[in-house]
Amino acid sequence: MSLVFRKSFDLFKTVKWILRKDIRACLSSLPEKVEKINAVEVEITRTGRRPRSQNPMLEYRHIYPEFLPDPNPNWRNSLREKLERADMLERRKQIDIPEFYVGSILAVTISDPHAQGKTNRFVGICIERKGCGLRAEFTLRNVVDNQGVEVRYELYDPTIQTIQVLRLEKRLDDKLYYLRDALPEYSTFPVDMDPEILPEGTAVPVNPVQVKLKPRPWLERWERQELKGVSNIEEHLKEKDRVRRELRKTPWEKYDLMKQYRKTVPIEDQNEIWGEVYNQLQQMRMSTKKTARKRVITAPKSQLG
Amino acid sequence: MATSNLYLLCKAMNNLRVNHIVKRTGHYTTLRKPKYRPPYWFMPKERVVSEDMLTQENRDFLEEVKQDKQVLQKQMESPLANVEMQQATEWTPFTRRVGLIARKIGNYPLWTKDGKKFQTTLLQVVDNHVIKYIPPEEFNPMKSGKMKKEHWKEKRTLGCLLVGSETIDPSTVTKDYCGMFTNVGMLPKRHLCRFMVSPHAQLPTGTPLYATHFRVGDCVDIRAKTIDRGFQGVIKRWGFKGMPASHGVTKTHRRPGNIGAGGEKARVWPGTKMPGHMGNSWRIIRGVKVLRVNTEHNVLWMLGVAIPGETGAMCYLYDTVLPLKKLKTAPPFPTSLHVDGLPLEYYDESIHAFEQPTIKFEEA
Repeated sequence: MSLVFRKSFDLFKTVKWILRKDIRACLSSLPEKVEKINAVEVEITRTGRRPRSQNPMLEYRHIYPEFLPDPNPNWRNSLREKLERADMLERRKQIDIPEFYVGSILAVTISDPHAQGKTNRFVGICIERKGCGLRAEFTLRNVVDNQGVEVRYELYDPTIQTIQVLRLEKRLDDKLYYLRDALPEYSTFPVDMDPEILPEGTAVPVNPVQVKLKPRPWLERWERQELKGVSNIEEHLKEKDRVRRELRKTPWEKYDLMKQYRKTVPIEDQNEIWGEVYNQLQQMRMSTKKTARKRVITAPKSQLG
Repeated sequence: MATSNLYLLCKAMNNLRVNHIVKRTGHYTTLRKPKYRPPYWFMPKERVVSEDMLTQENRDFLEEVKQDKQVLQKQMESPLANVEMQQATEWTPFTRRVGLIARKIGNYPLWTKDGKKFQTTLLQVVDNHVIKYIPPEEFNPMKSGKMKKEHWKEKRTLGCLLVGSETIDPSTVTKDYCGMFTNVGMLPKRHLCRFMVSPHAQLPTGTPLYATHFRVGDCVDIRAKTIDRGFQGVIKRWGFKGMPASHGVTKTHRRPGNIGAGGEKARVWPGTKMPGHMGNSWRIIRGVKVLRVNTEHNVLWMLGVAIPGETGAMCYLYDTVLPLKKLKTAPPFPTSLHVDGLPLEYYDESIHAFEQPTIKFEEA
């Protein structure tokens, strides 16, 4: 009986969610699909302003995805999430964790007891960003002395001294693991790169670069992943691979509303979460903007001097 | 109690010259004790909810009474606050204190001051109250296993303290279960647990227990039920290796293989590891360190993620019995009082609090 009840409740929730989905865009914390981004860009060019959804707080799910908990209901607990968010905000008061996305180029300085000078700086492209709460982490990739290097950092690790965004941009895909099989020039970035400052109020640009893969063997079956940021994938495929790619396709998954629902945190919960942290995050953003502006003004002087 | 009442009734009936009442004496209990005797607090709790055909007014009235009772319960002061602490004896390394009932609410990492990451489990101490103390003379538990043997002599040095957690609506449980609590003037609790305590560590009924009962740096034992995994094969249940996926192996990839030899041992030996039900059994993890305590929400951060049970499961905490991790200095005894103006959080000295500045290493 209870099972039936739960099922019907689940169904009811889903239906509610579907109806809501018709009204506004998908609420997943995952980065939006490229087509959507393009659409947003078109809008920007028309109005010259960032499109504002009904609730500006919900926009933060892209900037601070780690504030949303894991959607698995078995692991959720409101008190734990609250304590976790409080700890995250405490840490954010100590260092400025900037807005960045997969595809942005970052420089991270950490304190390292074994390094010379006790600090270690690494520059690289962010190839993945995952985890929620205090477990949030990201991976940087660079090629140092013709050797690919990847370093995974915890976002809230207290040994991180600074996180600096050298180039704020997105790529065409959510994860850039394919850079491991791409030609090294696509993941090579100079260590002494200067930070590029975007004019205020512009949307985060999407870099439409398409990388070239090295010939096989590959680490993963890239041809099956519907990647947009790879140009020469067809060159390396045999007829067998194409056939199998067709067989393994799951075109029905985009219609699986239940699956999408389970991947997202319900909007009621999201409203509650953002209502709790929005003001503090907003204040932090404003203060960092102010300091950044000061830095922009003072930077040329120091160069002249 | 019940038998004496019955006895009184019979007496009264005899006086009334009603002769057809059969007297039942307690000869059965005195002569032969039943094989399994559950502890007397183990009352059937679940109640079949029936439609009482109440009017809305009556429903509202019941709700009002319920609210009043809960408000009264909340306003109840800790009996310890009034009792003068002079009578209380000192803590010694041999005393056993009361424990806590907590709920597992999840895991997240904490960092130490030298930059190492540790996973922690969060345990929330939910609304704990002492229900009853049974002195050692009256406490007569079921003996089982080793204790049943003749040569075992009962020492009777420890009393039994019942602790309940999470107040519930009295109408959702049976009358018997509810009666245990109303007899001592409490509202029924969802979880009820027994802790063996030294007689001088006893607590009066209605004493609230808080997370500050344990200090940071102390080690505790945690008893909880493991995750129920259902019927599992030998690979998951016992960690067998299984057999190869190919090279001519057919139909035996995850099977146990041989379970016995021939000759004199031509049978399956008792205790052979075989498929079966896995999980949903009580486990005690001993010597878990408390790293951080939140006094507002009564949350304990425990080192490690090996605490049995899934998120939301209940667990029972008490001072560890491990000889090397036992308490060395006197803890809050018999328990900690609720004092205003406590710091919000206590951190172990090795733990980096998130409001502290970034960790930097000095050059030697």
